[in-house]
Amino acid sequence: MVENIFTSIAGSLRSVIDAAGAPLLLNDISVVLLKVVAILVYILVSALWLVYMERKICAYIQARIGPNRVGPMGLLQTAADIGKLIAKEIIIPRAADKVVFLLMPVLIFVPVLLLFAVVPFGKDMIAVDLNIGLFYFFSIASLSTIIFWAGGWASANKYALIGSMRAVSQMLSYEIPMILALLGVVMMTGSMKMSEIVNAQQHIWFVFTQPLAFIIYVIAATAETNRTPFDLLEGESEIIAGPFTEYGGMTFAMWFLAEYGNVVLVSALATTAFLGGWLAPFGWTFIPSWVWFFLKLYLMIYVLMWFRWTYPRIRVDQLMNFGWKVLVPLTLANIFVTGVGMYIYRAIGW
Amino acid sequence: MFGQGLIKGLAITLQELFTKKVTVQYPEQRCYIAPRFHGEFTFEESKCIICGMCVNACPNKVIEIESEKADKKKLLTGYKMNIQYCLFCGLCVESCPRDAIHFSQNFEMAKYHSKSIPLIMVNKTPEQIAEEKARIIAEAAKAAEARAKAEAATGAAKPEARGDAKKEPPKAGAKPAGGKSDRTEG
Amino acid sequence: MMQTQEITLNMGPQHPSTHGVFHILLKLDHEVIREATPICGYLHRGIEKLAEARTYTQIIPYTDRMDYLAAMLNNTGYCMTMEKLMEIEVPERAEFIRVICNELSRIASHLIAIGTYSVDIGGITGFMYCLRDRELVMDLFEEICGSRMTFSYMRIGGVAEDMPEGFLEKVLKFVDYMPSAIDEYDGLITGNEIFQARTKHVGIIPPEVALNYSLSGPILRGSGVDWDLRKKRPYSVYDRFDFEVPLGTRHDCFDRFTCRMKEMRQSLRIIRQAVEQMPEGPVMAKVPKVIKPPAGDVYLEIEGAKGMLGYYIVSDGSNKPYRVHVRRPSYINLGYLSELCKGWKIADVVAILGSLDIVLGEVDC
Repeated sequence: MVENIFTSIAGSLRSVIDAAGAPLLLNDISVVLLKVVAILVYILVSALWLVYMERKICAYIQARIGPNRVGPMGLLQTAADIGKLIAKEIIIPRAADKVVFLLMPVLIFVPVLLLFAVVPFGKDMIAVDLNIGLFYFFSIASLSTIIFWAGGWASANKYALIGSMRAVSQMLSYEIPMILALLGVVMMTGSMKMSEIVNAQQHIWFVFTQPLAFIIYVIAATAETNRTPFDLLEGESEIIAGPFTEYGGMTFAMWFLAEYGNVVLVSALATTAFLGGWLAPFGWTFIPSWVWFFLKLYLMIYVLMWFRWTYPRIRVDQLMNFGWKVLVPLTLANIFVTGVGMYIYRAIGW
Repeated sequence: MFGQGLIKGLAITLQELFTKKVTVQYPEQRCYIAPRFHGEFTFEESKCIICGMCVNACPNKVIEIESEKADKKKLLTGYKMNIQYCLFCGLCVESCPRDAIHFSQNFEMAKYHSKSIPLIMVNKTPEQIAEEKARIIAEAAKAAEARAKAEAATGAAKPEARGDAKKEPPKAGAKPAGGKSDRTEG
Repeated sequence: MMQTQEITLNMGPQHPSTHGVFHILLKLDHEVIREATPICGYLHRGIEKLAEARTYTQIIPYTDRMDYLAAMLNNTGYCMTMEKLMEIEVPERAEFIRVICNELSRIASHLIAIGTYSVDIGGITGFMYCLRDRELVMDLFEEICGSRMTFSYMRIGGVAEDMPEGFLEKVLKFVDYMPSAIDEYDGLITGNEIFQARTKHVGIIPPEVALNYSLSGPILRGSGVDWDLRKKRPYSVYDRFDFEVPLGTRHDCFDRFTCRMKEMRQSLRIIRQAVEQMPEGPVMAKVPKVIKPPAGDVYLEIEGAKGMLGYYIVSDGSNKPYRVHVRRPSYINLGYLSELCKGWKIADVVAILGSLDIVLGEVDC
């Protein structure tokens, strides 16, 4: 019963509207609206939770305790921070392009919200189950590059300019290994539909059959979301805060909440494509599927945070070297080996 | 193997995640403070002999002393430490010959207004000064009188013991007259 | 027509990685540096001028404030210079206490150097671990002299007070614990491939250039020149201890960093030997209350945490000096910075500056 709690809510809404005799279109629209509202609520709550989780994990790794004064065990710390940021003044530099400067923090949320539509939260719990789910994911994700770039450009600050140039080069170069790593998964599944990718892992998860692709995907995902060791975008010790240098108050908060949204998205994709999505390991289906999904999701997020607080950051030319000269050939080799393996597998007739 | 250092780093931070934390929940818990800690100053007025060694020892002219003369003694009327300039080096504590100034272990010296920062150890009003002056002069007079009586007693008992004993009585005779007149003035 | 343009970037006085208020004017060709001009003086407090109006003992707290991360070494340098001028012999127990305090201060300074270097490169956790262990050194100093950072513990002729009860046991406990902490830093920072990629072959200082520019300390030793004043011109009681001087082979930032790590281990060795050999006796020589040295001048150098720390004192026979000049190693080590940064990227400027390990109190005095 707990397993189907979300689908049953949607189902009962449908039946209520049907009973009222409304046309089918209205029925569909209302269910989609419900899904949109649910996803929005999830994103906002998860951003709050993730900031707290990051600060706590950071603190525990660094031999201290982290927020523990505001609310029980410091749980309301993010709320207090948001309150403080709302009250701050947003200073717009005189030479800045006002419209673009203020528009970018708003627009940064758009790809994040669009992409949550294809994340399979559980059994039959995708908002929109597109045939080209994975392809949609990557095409929208690359839009955030231009928003980072525009934000830094419009700030009229040399540090922001350098940061935004680094943003373009970094995010562009690491999308290619990310996509190529997932090509192996698509080859083994035979389709780009998110629910099919999860279903194809019923016997064995792809993390075991495609370990190299998993490692490359995690590295590329860290680079895409601008987290250490690839956070030279906002490399605090060099260019202060990169494209976000001139943003204060709520605009700053929007950039960081969008960054955490991106973290959730790439972790969700890693969970779906490699860790079996909402499938229960060892057949333990007494825990509902969406709970499994969240457990795996937060495990992946923990791994990303673990990397952040252990590693220093690499330099921009080393980043480009690593991306183009190491990761891309490795992913191409991975695709080759997957293809050969699949051919042999079918030829033997397993 | 490339990446070995990376994995070792991850292992170290993972291990650190579960070790005991070193921080202390201030202000509910306090850290251990050593006995020699250079905290706020404490001053014992009774020990001060107003020699001015602390004023001379201070590199930043933090200490200001005001004193008045009462009879032949000095009376401390004001002792102010401008600790906004203080280096907490301890040269004044070291130089005091009577151990009148000490460090305590209190480090919470923050104040709201900058004018409440200077430590005013002694600040006597004119009435207090006058009262103390009178008291000192009275004590000096009493002491001189007592000394004169003692000398007169020993002088009468053994007149041939010391030559300068004969010198004493005239002095002793002069003082009570002065003392009496002071007392009547007081 | 497309063209690129050089931009001028102020790695300004307010910057997270310039180790204080230090200003570098960079002329950049996108990320590559064409010119770097260091501009110092934002923390100038006039200590050398102030010293002309203070008595010799009153200058001791001012010397603390120059290299505030390794203040015992500053105090010792000044007091040793005055003792040379007045030809005072310091009792042995005081010399041994001075050695223990100096080496602990050196460890504290190197911990900050390593921690802030890790932060500059991006690994914030390394900084937290180094500071956690520096707190132990600060606690030891609090026991012995009452202050945690600016000690003014040395006096002309010895030290201010004898060690309290149980101090040597606490020092030994620290010396026993510290090697495991240094192993932790080695695992987290030194062995990290990303860190090595950022610092190896970056900012190479050839040995002849290092000698020409009067660089000293871990920078000179990282460039392979075997010059440590504790071995070459032994002062105090350093000739009684057995320790090594680590040298670098590649002359790059990574070598300077590992020199500091290894120096910490050698300092622990020295402290252990000093505790074992500690004699009994007074801690202060017979020095007049008012210090009036004979007229003349004197110059003395000791091995400070950042390099050769020298004091030049000119006395005119009164109780206040005529002139005090300090040969500050951080200031002199910065002389080569503009040449060293050319051709590297912005991220490397941070790495190079961190490996030079400057402290602004000393640069500006």
